Amino acid sequence: MTSLSSETTSVPVLTGPRPALAALRRGWLHLVLVPIALLWLSPLLWILVTSLKARTEVFDPAAGFWPQALEWGNYPAALSVAPFGTYLVNSILVTGGILVAQLTTITLAAYAFARLNFPGKNLLFTLFLLQIMFPIYATFLTNFVTVRELGILNSLPAMIVPFVASGYGTFMLRQAFRQVPTELADAARLDGCGHFGILWHVYLPLVKPTLIAFGIITVVTHWNDYMWPLLVTNSEGVRTLPIGLGLLAKSDSGADWTRLMAATVVVVSPLLLLFVIFQRRFVDSFMHAGLK
Amino acid sequence: MAEVVLKGVSKAYAGRPTVHAVDLTVADKEFMVLVGPSGCGKSTTLRMIAGLEDITSGRLLIDGADVTHAQPQKRDIAMVFQSYALYPHMTAYRNMAFGLLKTTNLGKVEVDRRIREAAEILHITHLLDRKPNQLSGGERQRVAIGRALVRQPKVFLFDEPLSNLDAKLRTRMRGELKRLHKELGLTVIYVTHDQIEAMTLGTRVAILSEGRLQQVGPPMELYMRPANTFVATFIGTPEMSLLRCAVTPDGEGSLLQHERFTTTLAARPGAADVFLGVRPEEIRLTRPAEGMTRGIVERTELIGSEALAEILIGQDRIVARMPVSEAPESGAEVSLSFDLTRARLFDATSGRALAAI
Repeated sequence: MTSLSSETTSVPVLTGPRPALAALRRGWLHLVLVPIALLWLSPLLWILVTSLKARTEVFDPAAGFWPQALEWGNYPAALSVAPFGTYLVNSILVTGGILVAQLTTITLAAYAFARLNFPGKNLLFTLFLLQIMFPIYATFLTNFVTVRELGILNSLPAMIVPFVASGYGTFMLRQAFRQVPTELADAARLDGCGHFGILWHVYLPLVKPTLIAFGIITVVTHWNDYMWPLLVTNSEGVRTLPIGLGLLAKSDSGADWTRLMAATVVVVSPLLLLFVIFQRRFVDSFMHAGLK
Repeated sequence: MAEVVLKGVSKAYAGRPTVHAVDLTVADKEFMVLVGPSGCGKSTTLRMIAGLEDITSGRLLIDGADVTHAQPQKRDIAMVFQSYALYPHMTAYRNMAFGLLKTTNLGKVEVDRRIREAAEILHITHLLDRKPNQLSGGERQRVAIGRALVRQPKVFLFDEPLSNLDAKLRTRMRGELKRLHKELGLTVIYVTHDQIEAMTLGTRVAILSEGRLQQVGPPMELYMRPANTFVATFIGTPEMSLLRCAVTPDGEGSLLQHERFTTTLAARPGAADVFLGVRPEEIRLTRPAEGMTRGIVERTELIGSEALAEILIGQDRIVARMPVSEAPESGAEVSLSFDLTRARLFDATSGRALAAI
């Protein structure tokens, strides 16, 4: 309370003569941020607006930006083109499966690289780094052959297996683990923890921001992935949401923009919803993990 | 009953020895301080006792049981780290409970009782719900000690626990540690590089240098009868002055010859080339005609209750302590005497102490 009152007494002294200038001084950042935010929001808004238009309005310059009447019917129409419910479940299973598998493998690998000594450690770590530098498309062919040899083509595991490990995640987490003071691990050993205990009780809670940041990156990447699922699946039962969107864009009559946008809203809304709920958490994580 | 015995304990990193065959017995309820300059192997020795470092060779017994290769949690010890090593994501209470729950089968009620009891002793009951980043350095220190106390281990290990505190707090915590040791009858092994801490806390002090044990004994014994020149100059501030002298037999006794003075000794020290070691308080300024020798005052420091004077005698520089009122001027020539009843002789080649003068 004291700080509040001192603020209110000092404000008139500072701003008395030129309130407009003072407001500008305090708000100039918003002047920059608001237009940028609008710019970033505009595609989303456009998608939403288009999804509610009638088909004739989309390319009609005279119709204006806003729809004449809200065509809610676009949504059920779009969803009836393909089994989007199945796609949604598949997307959740694939993305969730990759997330769980990656968090497990990168945690164990990063701990080993950060805190254990074993022969060939540096060479192995270099190979991990090398993997980050390869574009994903360079490995498509070998991955495809592997998946085929495993006999899991055209199944959910085909979309998960190639991504269960992550060089990038291992690298990120190793750096985070190295920031944890070794004395904490020593203390945990005296407190009766083995390697898994130290990892679970000390390291993981302390690198939570990095884990969340990595989780977001991985979820967004694999939720939106189009190429790989397209390559390894050919039946409706195992396809994911982005492929469903592709179906709409390529239907015989050409792209049906209103329905396509309606389906797009459905596809992106789970991620958007997640982001809105955990917004503060996400931003904090990226700040802590030193990522942008 | 908790006796810790080190038998020829050594440590080598990649074939390079850092701790050489340390033999040390820490008695039950003893406060043993390991002291030495940085890199002397004291922390490594402590970490070997804790089980955080492997013992390359030798044996370690705690309470009679051979724990040379036992896991840290099997050794019945607790440790307080220099950085306190409190888990940042746990409250003070959880920090104290964590090890207890992991290493014992105690029920929640007993764990709670022990934590409350330790918190009471350390005056941290009101801090139990806070996380380490909401605590001051001194408070973290207390929680770290509390975490060790609740374990009720046979042996407490402290690794420079006071070095992150400011001078005033350090003095207070020192008193506190001494009180805890006495009241609770703890067996403590305490590592520090600070000789004041070593002298004030230890019931016995072990001095290490370059991975070798130099001398073990009660603080005053180390001060009064250092085993070699390293101990002589390490313990005591300002350090003991060493004057190079030659010894020649003279009848029953011998003659001690410095480049600026000669004096007789009743005994024969057993070496021809020696250092005469005198502490600052054993040097007395005298009237011009009465001193053993003369020297030039290079510098005088007034440190409040007393004065320190650096005096050049030939090639050797010594430090003398005196009341402020008697402090000589810089550059003055003074006459002085040594209290030879307390002075010591060291073999100039090996550095080892020789039989009493």
